[in-house]
This record gives sequence, C-alpha cells and structure tokens, in this order.
Amino acid sequence: MIARHFASALLSATLLAGAAASVEAKDWKTVTVVTEGAYEPWNLTNPDGTVGGFEPEMLKDLCGRMKIECKVVTSDFDSAIPSLVAGKYDVVMDALSITDDRKKTIAFSDPYAATPAVFVTDKTSPLANAAGTGTTIKLENDGATPTMDALRKAFKGKTIGIQTATVYTPFVINNFKDVATIREYKTSPEHDLDLVAGRIDLAFDDATYFTSAFAKPENKDMAYTGPQINGMIWGPGEAFGFRKEDTDLTAMFNKAITEAKADGTLEKLSQKWFKLNVVP
Amino acid sequence: MSWYELFGFGEKGWGGLLVVGLLLTIAVTLTALLIGAVFGSLAAWGKLSASMPARIAGDVYTTVFRGVPELLVIFLIYFGGSSLTTAIGHLFGRDGFVGLPNFLAGALAVGVISGAYQAEVFRAAFVAVSRGELEAARAVGMPRLMRFRRIIVPQVLRFAIPGLGNVWQLSLKDSALISITGLVELMRSAQIGAGSTRQYFGFYIAAGALYLLLTSVSNRVFETAEARTARSFRRRLA
Repeated sequence: MIARHFASALLSATLLAGAAASVEAKDWKTVTVVTEGAYEPWNLTNPDGTVGGFEPEMLKDLCGRMKIECKVVTSDFDSAIPSLVAGKYDVVMDALSITDDRKKTIAFSDPYAATPAVFVTDKTSPLANAAGTGTTIKLENDGATPTMDALRKAFKGKTIGIQTATVYTPFVINNFKDVATIREYKTSPEHDLDLVAGRIDLAFDDATYFTSAFAKPENKDMAYTGPQINGMIWGPGEAFGFRKEDTDLTAMFNKAITEAKADGTLEKLSQKWFKLNVVP
Repeated sequence: MSWYELFGFGEKGWGGLLVVGLLLTIAVTLTALLIGAVFGSLAAWGKLSASMPARIAGDVYTTVFRGVPELLVIFLIYFGGSSLTTAIGHLFGRDGFVGLPNFLAGALAVGVISGAYQAEVFRAAFVAVSRGELEAARAVGMPRLMRFRRIIVPQVLRFAIPGLGNVWQLSLKDSALISITGLVELMRSAQIGAGSTRQYFGFYIAAGALYLLLTSVSNRVFETAEARTARSFRRRLA
C-alpha cells in the first residue's frame, strides 16, 4: 500500500513539476502581490493588459525602498484572502479595509489610505456651501462637534440619500434621523440618479466614489457641501494584507510606508489618482 | 470615448482582451469536455457493469457531481488541490507553495462536473443500441474488444450527440465560474474591463453577446453533426 501511495505521489509530482507555479524563497528577495486589477482608481487594468492605478504605483515606490522585487498578479477579489492564506501569494493589495473580522485570518500593515466621506448636493441648491465646506474634520466616535451641529441645523427637513449597509449608513441615521428624512439605496449610483432628478436633497458617500461620479456628464451639477469627514469613525483605513506568520515582511512594508508618508510620495500619488488626499 | 473605440482593437480599445478571453473560454471548455469524456465513459461503464461496487462507484460519482454546486467543486479543486500538491511538494523536499496552474484546476473542475452529465448521456446511448446487433456480433464470434470497437462505440457516439450538445453548452457556461481562479477567460476579461473603465453595462452586454454567439454557433455544429450521423440510421433521431 505504502509503495503504491508513493508511486502515485511520484507520478503526480512529475506531472506537476513542469507546470507547478512559483515556489518562493523565504528571505524575501521577491514577493508575489495579488490585486484585482478592476477597481478603478485603486487598481485597474489598461487595455494593453498592464496594471495601473494608485496602489500599483505606490507598490513600485515601496518595493524600490525595500530593495525587493515585487511581482504583481491579478485575481478575483473573492479568492484573494483564501489564496493568500493557502500560500499562493504573499501580499494582498486591493483597497482592503482593516476590520476585526479579517484580523482573525490575516495580518495588516499600517494603513496607507483612509478615505473621507462627504455630503453632496446640487450646485444651485441653497444647501450648497454648508458649514465647513472645503475643510476636513476628524471624528473619533459619535460625531458631536460644532460643525456637525451646524450641519444638523442646515439639513433640517431635507431628504438625505445613502447606500445601505455601509459604515456610513449608521453614521447618517444616528446623526440626522431626528431632523431629516433618510432614504437608503442599494447602490451608490442610485442615490446620484435621485439627487439629479430632485427626489432627494443630499447624498452622503465615500469621497473617492464621488470623485469618479462627478466625472460623468449627467452628474455635472453635483457639488460637495460641508466638510470632508475623516477619522477612526470609519475604521483604521485600507492596508496591505499578509499571512499572520510573515511578521518580518509586514515590518518591512510598515517601514517603507512610513518613509513614503514622510517624504510626501503617498500624498502625491493620492492627489494624482483620487484628486484628494486620502493618506491617513 | 465612443462604443466603437471602447470595444475596438485600437490602442485604447478592449476588443483584443475580450477576444483573447473568448479563445481561452473555448480552450478551457474543450479541455474540460475531454477530461469529462474520460470520467464520463468510466462512470457509464461502472453504472452498466454487473459488479456491485462498480455500479455504486458510478452512481456516487454522478449523484455527487450533478448535485453539488459547480462553484463549490471549483473552490474544492482550486484551493484543496493546491494544498494537496503543496503537501506532495514537501514530501519531496520542496519548500513553500506548489500550486495547480489555474487553467488546469479550472478545466479539471468543470471537467469532473461535465463528466457526471456525460456519464448519463453515454449510459442512455448505450441502452439505445439494439440488443439484437450485440447478440448477432456475439453469434458470429466477435471478441469482446472488437464488439466494443465495431458495434458499441460508433453507435453510442451517434446516439450521444444531442446529449453531448447539451453538456457542451452547460460546460461553456460553467467555465464562467473559473473566473474566480483569476484565469482571464471571457467572464473575467469583461469584469476587468468593467472595473477599469466603470462601463459595467457595456462590458457585460458585450460578454453576453459573445457567449450567445458561441452557443449559437456550437448549436449549429451539433445540429450538422446530428444530421450527418442520422443518415446512416433507418429512422431519424428523436
């Protein structure tokens, strides 16, 4: 029996030897980084098949600092974390938010982005240029600040559209449900449609989402109002994902991220791709 | 950017990527159908066998792989398969991860599923072969293998054509699920194009049209094959 098992293992191994995928060294000369390549502007694929976007350009800079070779491969988002754990890739780079649930399975680097959220209204609406427009405020927990009080007063009796089941949903409900009507939508483009049609007065969503939504001709009359809201209220932000045992690799990335933050490289890339600063 | 530019073959056009995806979809489905033919004929043989264990094995195979979601089988083979190959790699002193290439894992997954359906098609086709011809072959003293080669295989294949056409179409659509392994077939190339340009509707419509093109062309191929083989039968196939 043992001999037969060995023979079949040998057979499979010979069959696979030619086709087997990467086998990496553990001294981290090269790392395989997986990204979706279909989440513009974080990461995207160009028509010629090359990968571009905010994250791939940042990675190129970070890998230069670490003096390692980074091989970027694209795969489906749903299988990225299982594949990382199975050992197929070494790093996940896919606008991955740090959450407690994910922390049970994988380790995270320091966040390299924390996207703010913001209100949007029609340019011609009296709600345009509400208190704090053009500024950024940091909220840590419940959102009780003077600016928020001013917004609550300004939005009294209005209708606010939000996407359902995101981190922003409970925030808007808790802060505005007693002064305004709140309408939930399944996807973000739906609240844009209703805002443009005049069914709602305001929409609240991720600022990076609005950056690309504003680029569509049908949304030309949409404008930010009130401050960009940032801080721990949305969680720590987006980071690289690693296997828990690869603490040395995580530390290398953290050092490179700190350097790139300090010399302004990250902010420059953020302005290029998001048209705003998402660096935490 | 106009639709013509977006889906064209110019510098900014996605036509090339979609066509490569289409070819890969055809390649992976053909490979899966061949893998399935091997599994399917073995299972059909088991189901028709006089031996009880062979019958049970054949029945278990067709019941399990027709009854479990395709996506689950793909996950099992893609992730489970690489855990297995990594373990075998360790046995031979290879450190780290040894993976099944995603083309092979995907074709294998769709193949074992299509094998379960093909087994039923082959079994039904075998039952349709006239008992009289088999008895006549035995009466003139044809040995077992010659009977298989001259009487059974040619007729089973003819009777199986309509059923195989269905299985082909089924596998063609199952192949879209392989996109989760990162293999850039038609579905995944549409997802990449959609996510990179935010033209979700356009890209999914384009992929849908290409799938329809593929299934309608292959329908014609199977119909022609069916008409050709029907000529040698006394009456038309159902």
